[in-house]
Amino acid sequence: MPPFCALTRRQLLTAAPAAAVASIAGPVQAATRGIKFGLTPVFLSNDLELLDQLRTFLARRTGLEVVLVQRRTYEEITSLLISGQLTAAWICGYPFVSYREELALVAVPVWRGQPLYRSYLIVDADRHASSLDDLKGDVHAFSDPNSNSGYLVTRAALAKRQWRPEEFFRHSFFTYGHRNVVRAVASGLAQSGSVDGYVWEVISEIEPELTGRTRVLERSELLGFPPVACPRRSQDTPETLALKRALLDMNSDPLGTEVLKELRLDGFSDAKPSVFDGIAAKLALVRSLG
Amino acid sequence: MGVRRPKFTRLNPLQWPLALRVPVLAALMMVTVSAVVTDRVLTRLIDTQNRHLTELSDAYLDGISSAVIPHVLREDIWEVYDALDRAAQRYEGLDIAWTTVTDPVGRVIASSQPRAFPLQTELPDPVRSRLNGASDSATYEDHGVFHVKRELVHQHRVVGAIYAEMRIGTLIEERREVLATLIASNTTLTLLFAIIGYITVRRMMRPIRVLSESMRSGAAGSVTPVPVELIGRPESEFGQLFRRYNSLVQAVAERERLLKSLAEEERLAALGRLASGMAHEINNPIGGMLNAVDSLKRHGDRAAVRETSIRLIEKGLLGIRDIVRSSLATYRHRQDERPLTATDLDDLALLLQPEIKRKNLQLEWRNAMDREIFVPVGGVRDAALNLLLNACAATEPNRTVSFEAAATQDGIELEVRDQGPGMPRAILDYINAPLSQPAPLAPRSGLGLWMVKRFAYEVGGQLEATTRACGGTSVRLKIPERKKPFAKTQEFSHVA
Repeated sequence: MPPFCALTRRQLLTAAPAAAVASIAGPVQAATRGIKFGLTPVFLSNDLELLDQLRTFLARRTGLEVVLVQRRTYEEITSLLISGQLTAAWICGYPFVSYREELALVAVPVWRGQPLYRSYLIVDADRHASSLDDLKGDVHAFSDPNSNSGYLVTRAALAKRQWRPEEFFRHSFFTYGHRNVVRAVASGLAQSGSVDGYVWEVISEIEPELTGRTRVLERSELLGFPPVACPRRSQDTPETLALKRALLDMNSDPLGTEVLKELRLDGFSDAKPSVFDGIAAKLALVRSLG
Repeated sequence: MGVRRPKFTRLNPLQWPLALRVPVLAALMMVTVSAVVTDRVLTRLIDTQNRHLTELSDAYLDGISSAVIPHVLREDIWEVYDALDRAAQRYEGLDIAWTTVTDPVGRVIASSQPRAFPLQTELPDPVRSRLNGASDSATYEDHGVFHVKRELVHQHRVVGAIYAEMRIGTLIEERREVLATLIASNTTLTLLFAIIGYITVRRMMRPIRVLSESMRSGAAGSVTPVPVELIGRPESEFGQLFRRYNSLVQAVAERERLLKSLAEEERLAALGRLASGMAHEINNPIGGMLNAVDSLKRHGDRAAVRETSIRLIEKGLLGIRDIVRSSLATYRHRQDERPLTATDLDDLALLLQPEIKRKNLQLEWRNAMDREIFVPVGGVRDAALNLLLNACAATEPNRTVSFEAAATQDGIELEVRDQGPGMPRAILDYINAPLSQPAPLAPRSGLGLWMVKRFAYEVGGQLEATTRACGGTSVRLKIPERKKPFAKTQEFSHVA
């Protein structure tokens, strides 16, 4: 079974209503002795089997009831997390640094040996362009306005050049999914896109014909991998601690190993918040531009 | 004389034989029927295809509309594109080339073919010009593609529109295949039916053709029965027709034979009358000669009596010789191998004298022949004598029978006129009609004329009869001269 981002359209169409049922439609109900784990569609697609494996693993390792919660945007998940309706959530570094006072790290995924990844600036495979500067006037696809790799990195790069996206690009839009950014650029809907480098690499393994129609124009510096965070005020609750232990010990469990294999991750680490300083710097740069 | 045929007979279908006309007509009808059937089938096929296409495209647009309206309202480009991209996979019955969603002013929000329809650009011609003016739902078919448009209406406001192009090459190909199949099968069937029709009609028409051939040969002079081997089944319609026809042919042949027999009898009767007249003509000089012989016996010693008697005897003998010579010329040799001379005709006057005298008639004799003419001598003399005897028979005593003969440029022309009561209408019509007309068989109704007419036909001549205004009948006989002269032969020896 392919990992996230590898669903066929048929699977996607059949999975959507099931996922909606699995998720919490309205405000997340507080449960006694349970874990509500939020997932962003930016990072994880609707691979029901993978989600089920993850839920099963977490429930078995923590001994608690685990509910996976999905929403369309980062913003929705972040709001649920900050408001305490979720025990923890797998979010992006950008909302983590944005709400650093309200959030605490639970664990940071390790990819290719370190809790870091890059943002990719991609264009059509046949396009003659050598840098971001060549993309002026493009129709550009972002992933999510609260995504580091799918928005903030490019936004900061433009800020360095004293540009705002709406000025630099002829038109830009959000696809609310890294795989969708790749699809938008590959189909020609967008002439360029900002995408999670980890997601692009995984897709290139699973769907090389899709990424083959795109070309990585620029790679950002290494930045903190999208972390699992929890509300700061509940970072020491038994549920959060149990979740943290489960994630950190994931590569020692057969089912956990299976899930990590599907996710192309090495495991989870107890990384320091300073891992996200690079993202924080970009946020500061963008905010300074106003 | 042959029947005058119209020009370009082969180009005139009305002149074609029935065995050809019927299959051609059947083939034309088949072509017409197949053309109508082909047209109807194709029309129905196109209607059905268009109806299915419209239904499918309506279903497609319905689905797309409900899916994209919320995203169009939010100007969510990705979701509109994603909806179009997913829908393209779901409608397998439609070969969708592209689907494009525009805003109310016609700018592209998203398209399933983004490279062809970039964001925020105007929808290109010719699609826009064809369908932009159309309202809620419109279609346009052209050059193997089918364009549809559906306005996106939300709360009674037009918030955008969907345009789509569907490839209908497979439908057009299907129409072509149906058309080709129809043409091939109809052509095969038409040819098959035409061939079967031709063979069938030809077989059906065979007895008619046999009958027609027999009747055509009959018109040429010799009526022949249909051979037994061609009659077929006697109980069939044509078998019965052939039997009746053969009976008719036998009756005609019998009639012909009877006519010949009667003509011969009349000829013998005429010969008898001539012989009787000749005997009378010979008897008169014999009486004179016997008187002369008696005078010689009694007064032969007197020179004057002797000379007078010898002269009378010589005159009598010369008269007898002329009469006998005329008879010989008429009856002795039928096929003369010499040209006709004026004397040959003048002899007839001598031969006719007994009849003229017997009926106390006047004979006007004008022979203007100034050259020899290569015509059958015996036949012409027979014909002229027949006409003269008929004229004598028809003319009352003390009236006149006229005879005229003249050499023409291409033969000889004879005319015999009488002052009788006029020829009966039936005989007059018979003379002036073609030879195939049956001869009248009334007593003394002119079997001689039948023979004259037959002679004229055989030598390519012409016989005409008219009723004269002053009374009586005029019969005119024209005989053409043969191109090749006869071998000259000695006709008469100076014998009695």
